Amino acid sequence: MIIHRVIRKVQRFQGWFGSGAALCLIAGLYIGLVDSPPDYYQGEVVRIMYVHVPLAHTSLFAYIVLSVGSMWYLWKRDPIVDNMCHAVAALGAIFTTLALATGMIWGKPTWNTWWTWDARLTSYSVMLLILISYLMLRTFIDDHEKEARYAAVLAILGLVDLPIIHFSVEWWRTLHQPQSFSMRGVSMSSEILIPLMCMSIGMSLLFSYMLMVRTQLLYLDRLLHAKKGRLLSQFHMSQSDS
Amino acid sequence: MTSLYLRWGGLLIVAVGLSVLTYNHYQQHLSTVSPHQMKEQAPRQEIRLFGMVRGGTLEGKVKAGDATFELMGNDTSVTVHYQGPPPDNLRELKTLILIGKWNPSDNIFEARDIGLITNYGFVIGAYLIGLIPLAIFLFAMSRRVGLLYEEIKESKLYQEE
Amino acid sequence: MTFFNVIRWIVWKDLVIELRSRETMSSMVFFALIVIFIFSFSFSMDQQAAREVIAGIIWVAFAFTGIIGLGKSFSTELQNDCLEALQMVPESKGAIYLGKVVANFLFIFVVEILLFPMFVIFFNLDVVEEISILLLIFFLATVGLSAVGTLFSALTVQIRAREVMLPILLLPMVIPVMIAAVEATKGALNGDPLTMYSQWLELLAIFDVIFTVVSFWLFEFVMDN
Repeated sequence: MIIHRVIRKVQRFQGWFGSGAALCLIAGLYIGLVDSPPDYYQGEVVRIMYVHVPLAHTSLFAYIVLSVGSMWYLWKRDPIVDNMCHAVAALGAIFTTLALATGMIWGKPTWNTWWTWDARLTSYSVMLLILISYLMLRTFIDDHEKEARYAAVLAILGLVDLPIIHFSVEWWRTLHQPQSFSMRGVSMSSEILIPLMCMSIGMSLLFSYMLMVRTQLLYLDRLLHAKKGRLLSQFHMSQSDS
Repeated sequence: MTSLYLRWGGLLIVAVGLSVLTYNHYQQHLSTVSPHQMKEQAPRQEIRLFGMVRGGTLEGKVKAGDATFELMGNDTSVTVHYQGPPPDNLRELKTLILIGKWNPSDNIFEARDIGLITNYGFVIGAYLIGLIPLAIFLFAMSRRVGLLYEEIKESKLYQEE
Repeated sequence: MTFFNVIRWIVWKDLVIELRSRETMSSMVFFALIVIFIFSFSFSMDQQAAREVIAGIIWVAFAFTGIIGLGKSFSTELQNDCLEALQMVPESKGAIYLGKVVANFLFIFVVEILLFPMFVIFFNLDVVEEISILLLIFFLATVGLSAVGTLFSALTVQIRAREVMLPILLLPMVIPVMIAAVEATKGALNGDPLTMYSQWLELLAIFDVIFTVVSFWLFEFVMDN
């Protein structure tokens, strides 16, 4: 199948992804933390953006990969794609949590509050809830095929729901409190853009690398399980024969 | 497995190097001294002085960027002569950071600019919280993949059927 | 059996079971009454404060009551292997889904109609003029709730810990319904002109259409064994 060929091709470059991620992140950290000047409006706090924005982008990317993979699974019923979906959900949950945590740390000195029911923050946290419920659902089903199918259904439903959640929260917020803080209007100078791009590329590469490692991990886990089970049944059969 | 530990050891060294660089950067460009410390140490080079403008002492053409006032901090106050770009946040009872040189002969701090108040703790916290869990998670996963490979190899499970 | 006949038979079957046993509806009504009491103890309210929070209380009570009804919808099918029988219906699985949605909608909507007078009495609401618009809000929100809830009910009935998983899966998904229903109900109870909150009714209608279509399609994969 085509997806197997693609995975095998990409897997061959796994090491490149890892080292590329390491290089980009080290360069980005050096430029972001040491080399770049503080922002005129935000001061030193702007440096949090260099780690927060890439994390947020990547977690959104993770959800897109999850839903595309889920649709592919429902279409082709390919177990390796299901492994990838399972892996990407766990990674997405971690990246979303970290994006929210760094966002809160940025919000404290900038908006003087850890949390606000901003549309973006709220839809991100709902996305985290959906990802966690996705992972929980998978632990409660014994049959692998059924687990994959149900999880895919949940992921696709979540994909449809997330934009609606975002818009409804945005409407709800504009109704209750006027938009007091906004990131729009803060123009991006090249001093900010260079470390941001570095960290963004590095984080995407790191995410791809982690996705490969985790897919491999889940695959090997399942392989070991299956092989052990088969050996055990062979053993029992030989026992009953003799 | 050895190559895994070697790779992560290398990364750890790079991480330590980066944090040393960051710390140096912070010490050179962002750390501040209080008037009390400044009077004790009497540094020659340019420093960043942190304190509050004392009420009722601000004089001169503030809008034009030429002013004299007293800066309070740790129960010690020092006379400051500010001459630089027109400041937008120089008011009485305002906490700020002044960049300039200490003149011990006539006990006046010659300030040339006003710096931004840094909240570097938040920056460091965000980077640590953002990156360390990722690193730990990735390390645990790679290690487990290595262990699984070894287990499959040793248990002779990976054979032709 | 044609597509619509399957829908009709499933609705009829569920209604007959309910009319004979009265299990689901009575437990839903009683549970909601308890929720109303708990809420009125936990907020000691005057008229003004009631106006602010009553819409939220109404919808929290309705959502939890709805979850009880939705959970029962498919767990009754576990007895005597009725679920397998449903899966063998020689028609597209979507018919089963639509039949179940209609049945669940009827249960929840009737319970809401029964409960709303209680809210009016206990919290001294004045609703005579707005009753038609409130019914429209209840209708739209309940359609949304049962469209998503029926899918999740079918999904959770075949897994472990289904009583826990149904609300965990359902509640994040129906956040837009909750927000829109609470805002619209608040507007209606305050006696605001319709144009001020008609956007929420539109949002509810859009949610209903999208999620009925998507769940109709996904239901095939849930029931396919």
